[in-house]
Amino acid sequence: MLLFWSEEHSEKWCKDWNLSRGEVIPLDKCCRLAQAWYTPDRREPEWRRRTVDEAQALFTELGFTSEFWRLPR
Amino acid sequence: MDAEQEQIALDKVVRSHVYDYVMREGLLPTIAETSSALARSSDEIRVSFQRLADGHIIVLQKGGEILMANPFSAVPTAFLVKARGRSYYGNCIWDAMGIPAMLKQDATIEASCGCCSTAMNLTITNGSLEEAHGIAHFAIPAAHWWDDIVFN
Repeated sequence: MLLFWSEEHSEKWCKDWNLSRGEVIPLDKCCRLAQAWYTPDRREPEWRRRTVDEAQALFTELGFTSEFWRLPR
Repeated sequence: MDAEQEQIALDKVVRSHVYDYVMREGLLPTIAETSSALARSSDEIRVSFQRLADGHIIVLQKGGEILMANPFSAVPTAFLVKARGRSYYGNCIWDAMGIPAMLKQDATIEASCGCCSTAMNLTITNGSLEEAHGIAHFAIPAAHWWDDIVFN
């Protein structure tokens, strides 16, 4: 997951790496995802990875609803 | 406590130590450091690291040391995060933005365009990104993130 100056720059990068275009996310939306994902304190003994259903629900809540965000079952 | 319960208990302590150490020091702990801090043998820590890696909680280097404890990277990356007088490396833009969330601190991210290396500095204040130019690009669909988490 990389940072680019613009969508055009990400398209050039994909071409250079011979990769299909992925998902372009506005930085503020990416920040909301990062904040939600990493707020639980991983130092706490009770912390555990989200289940697939929990992670999928978080994506949906934050507006990441396309097939690109579909987690494996 | 049976052997499996002991492993689970040790893994929790090791995970807690890994994150406590990196949040405090800005560096990920080595096997030797963790062994010393927790008064457990290097072999016990090495095996615990492997179990945590198998559970997708950390990512190991070939020699068994930690490469990633998301969102933190053990090696320098293009995502330098500065907060509370320390520097941290994020694995990607998502992780870099997640570091201030973990630290519960404001932060600046010194990053660059993945295409042309133009410097792109971001500021996160009270959990929100201050106005910034740029976009994030996720190249790999979520279903395949762990196929090659280092590239991802």
